[in-house]
Amino acid sequence: MIDNALVALDALFDPMRLAALFAGMMVGMVFGMLPGLGGVAAVSILLPFIYYMDDYSGLAMLLGAVSVVYTSDTITSVLLGAPGSPASAPTAIEGHALAKQGQAARALGVGFLASMVGGLVGAAVLFFAIPIAGPIVLLLSTPELFMFSLVGLFFASSMIGKDLAKGLGAACLGLLLGVVGPAQAAADFRFTFGQVYLLDGFSLTIVALGLFGVAEVISMLAAGGGISHQRMEVAQWGEGFRDFWRSKWLVLRASFIGVLGGFVPAVGASASTWVAYGHAIRSTKDKSKFGKGEIRGVAASEGANNATVISDLVPTLLFSVPGGPAAAIFLGALFSFGYYPGPRMITQNPDLMFLIVWSVALTSVVGAGLCFLIAPTLAKLTRIPFAIIAAPLVLIMVIGAYQSTSTIGDVFMLFSLGALGWLMKHGGWPRAPALVGFVLSGPMEQYFWLSNQIHGWSWLGRPGVLLIASVIVIPLLLSLVRWLRTRHTPGEEGPGDEDAPPPDSNRSIALVLAALALVMFAYALWETFTFNPTSRLMPALAIVPGLPLALWLFVRGIREYENEFARDGGELSVLVVLVTYAVAVWAIGLSIPTVALIAWMLLARAKMRLWTSLVYGAVVFGIVRLLFDVLRGDAPVGVFLPIS
Amino acid sequence: MRKFMTTTAALTAVMGLATAAQAQDGYFAGETIDVIVPFGQGGATFVSAKFLEPYFEKHLPGNPEINVIDRPGGGSILGANWFEQNAESDGTTILFTTSSTANPFVLGQEGVEYRLADYRVAYSHPFSAVAYTSPSTGVTSAENIREADEPLIYGGIAAAASDLPGLLSFEVLDLDVRTVLGFNGRGPVRLAFEQGELNFDYQFTPVYLTQVVPSVEAGTAVPLWTGGAMEDGVLKGRDPIAPELPSVYEVHEMLTGEAPSGIEWEAFQGVASVTYAYGLTGYMHPDTPQEVLDIFAETVAAINSDPEFQAESQEVTNGARLNAGPDTEAAVKAALMPSAEVRDYLRNLLSEKYGVNF
Repeated sequence: MIDNALVALDALFDPMRLAALFAGMMVGMVFGMLPGLGGVAAVSILLPFIYYMDDYSGLAMLLGAVSVVYTSDTITSVLLGAPGSPASAPTAIEGHALAKQGQAARALGVGFLASMVGGLVGAAVLFFAIPIAGPIVLLLSTPELFMFSLVGLFFASSMIGKDLAKGLGAACLGLLLGVVGPAQAAADFRFTFGQVYLLDGFSLTIVALGLFGVAEVISMLAAGGGISHQRMEVAQWGEGFRDFWRSKWLVLRASFIGVLGGFVPAVGASASTWVAYGHAIRSTKDKSKFGKGEIRGVAASEGANNATVISDLVPTLLFSVPGGPAAAIFLGALFSFGYYPGPRMITQNPDLMFLIVWSVALTSVVGAGLCFLIAPTLAKLTRIPFAIIAAPLVLIMVIGAYQSTSTIGDVFMLFSLGALGWLMKHGGWPRAPALVGFVLSGPMEQYFWLSNQIHGWSWLGRPGVLLIASVIVIPLLLSLVRWLRTRHTPGEEGPGDEDAPPPDSNRSIALVLAALALVMFAYALWETFTFNPTSRLMPALAIVPGLPLALWLFVRGIREYENEFARDGGELSVLVVLVTYAVAVWAIGLSIPTVALIAWMLLARAKMRLWTSLVYGAVVFGIVRLLFDVLRGDAPVGVFLPIS
Repeated sequence: MRKFMTTTAALTAVMGLATAAQAQDGYFAGETIDVIVPFGQGGATFVSAKFLEPYFEKHLPGNPEINVIDRPGGGSILGANWFEQNAESDGTTILFTTSSTANPFVLGQEGVEYRLADYRVAYSHPFSAVAYTSPSTGVTSAENIREADEPLIYGGIAAAASDLPGLLSFEVLDLDVRTVLGFNGRGPVRLAFEQGELNFDYQFTPVYLTQVVPSVEAGTAVPLWTGGAMEDGVLKGRDPIAPELPSVYEVHEMLTGEAPSGIEWEAFQGVASVTYAYGLTGYMHPDTPQEVLDIFAETVAAINSDPEFQAESQEVTNGARLNAGPDTEAAVKAALMPSAEVRDYLRNLLSEKYGVNF
């Protein structure tokens, strides 16, 4: 085994292969930083090139891209507050809050180091566990997978924040978004309104980008000025290193959570990141800083997402069942090179297995180092007026969203969810539980029904199920005991979400959102009656608590109503511009509205001088067109004006 | 090394340096052919399209560049609808897809805008499936499938998609099978089989050869039958991919002593032939000139006799060959336009037994 490992290392150090690995890494870094474009986009853009290389170089290139995405996306999440990829949404919450307090270097340092550790743990697991991981994966049958999603939901409860009704309402809203599309248990398509676009349900990328990214951009555009009103010094890494060392065990635990998430096919990095984040909240004594910039939240989620993306390769290589979307493309590449992953792979191609381990490990270390190098330069960007960054940022989010189906529906969905995210942000509804509910509702429903159909109720007694259940029950019992002892002494408050404190929420917007949620839940209830009985359970889980909560919030909203629309009027106008942009793209194609949007941002918002904005705008527009061409081959064409 | 040679061949072809003598010299010279795959990049259809790409580049006259483009969404309906609106009628846009696109069309599902039965069929790649069971059922071959010691549990994705022929084969063979639908893909289904949660499964051939055969050798899976192959217009022949296994048709004969007939069989034959015998089909715009289709038929013949293709397909599909030409097109079109009776039977079965709403 050691022999094979050394042979593989030697094979990787061929200059051509190293070059391929690092070329892939660079692409992965760039795509990791672009919000909405992540591992999948990086791998698909590289895919055509690998066929011109030998098998090891081609695969090394893909691995280089895959394993660095979750390291470099930290930069976007921390500096811009828009998640670089869905799985770094917790980083966007905590890291960006820290950055606003002028502690960007600290958040970035911890994020990079945690990512590196996560990557190395993933690689080590691949290295040592390849011979023994098979049985572990086989132990995780559908009932165990259901219990894992339940654990995720339980951890999500720690993100609900102070306003219980709004937090629970947000979680229910997320669950409801998650059940749109095909039902798992029977052939029902739920809440699709006859739109083919909705037949597959919402894309995770678009939901994460909409709820967090678009809402963030709107606020920053309206506020004017730079991202940070204070100087963002990213030069002193010392504090970050000390923070990292203080939370080293947390990072390790988070990495192992991530590894387990990777073993489970199709649950993926987002779910395990949230579980790790929830674990960080539970294991931290002073929870008050969560949501307002807690470094441990960054450490946990970055450790987990990197470990997941790498251990995703375990089911991919052992069973030919991809652990996540990027792993699926990697699997396709393996097929094209004539490798058929499966039980025989370890004995037939041991060198290849170790090549994969080395590529991943090397990229994790070098990638983190490179991030340290470039972060200070990128941080300077946060001083310039945000509108200058916003133009390319919004367009890249559009391109990222457009990757899911390449139809105009993607663009509409991005801005509709952006509007929802904006309403939630200002209405005081925490967005984290909504995203967690969305991520987990699919696997929960699926594994619940599969378990019940296959095993009846007997699955409840399986040892694996009981073991995982203890993760939920023991902390619950402990806190019950603690509560009985102390009779709830004040001071033990849950963590606050970044937008939870009621004084910050806009009462008019809260009322609008409550009304909207009320309508959504009520309609959903009505449509639910047309489904097969087995398809009703999961929507019911969202509606039964969601409808009364929305009603209560609506009544409360009316009682507390004050006309505060004017307070966020500036932001509202930005939102209107973005929605108009989406409609215009649908009507007259991509080019004209895009040029208009760039012009509006540069001239009206950033107040750039005419000639500079002409040059800069032309460059941005050129890059956007280029990205559309490279990634998809075609941009949206207008309905009334048939040009793209 | 072999891969390297393939790559070089493709590279030369792209650069237009290859000087293969072809019938219509250079018909596609300098052109780019887009192959639209309405599924994601890791999926079997995309991989197959990539697998065929270099051979088409090499053998099509003029050595055009082939671009495989994925357009996933709506269970393949979005990609096919896009093709309906955007396809060129000169053979430079191809929709490469499976029965997952054909079944919603045949069943008249909501949201289908593509007129699949009007499209021209350029080529098809068989994509057969093998049924297998767990030894825990006590079943040792197709003959005693009805004497299983424990209830048969089959795992699938959705009744109206690629699971349909498998479900219809249970009707033909009158098997009592508990179907558990709602898996994410056939990979997770196979995993559940290996975990012992399911004991009965269909897998498409490439997966069967690489993933299930090791289990068969280890004694943890028992192969039963294949979907069969077209023989004189009836789906009764043995599949060249697994010739040691009987077809569904033969299994029916074995179990009842009679050839299958009736509406169940008609429905199965129609759906199964689009799924298996013409599993992956390359469709073209309805107005594509006959000349282009003839060129593709000749190209397919050239690919089939290319020793490199033969060697590589031996490894992946046990030597499956491409189909093209008028017979293939007629068979595919017949399957896409079932009689009103068959259609009603399918819709009834799906809505009553599997709760599909139309």
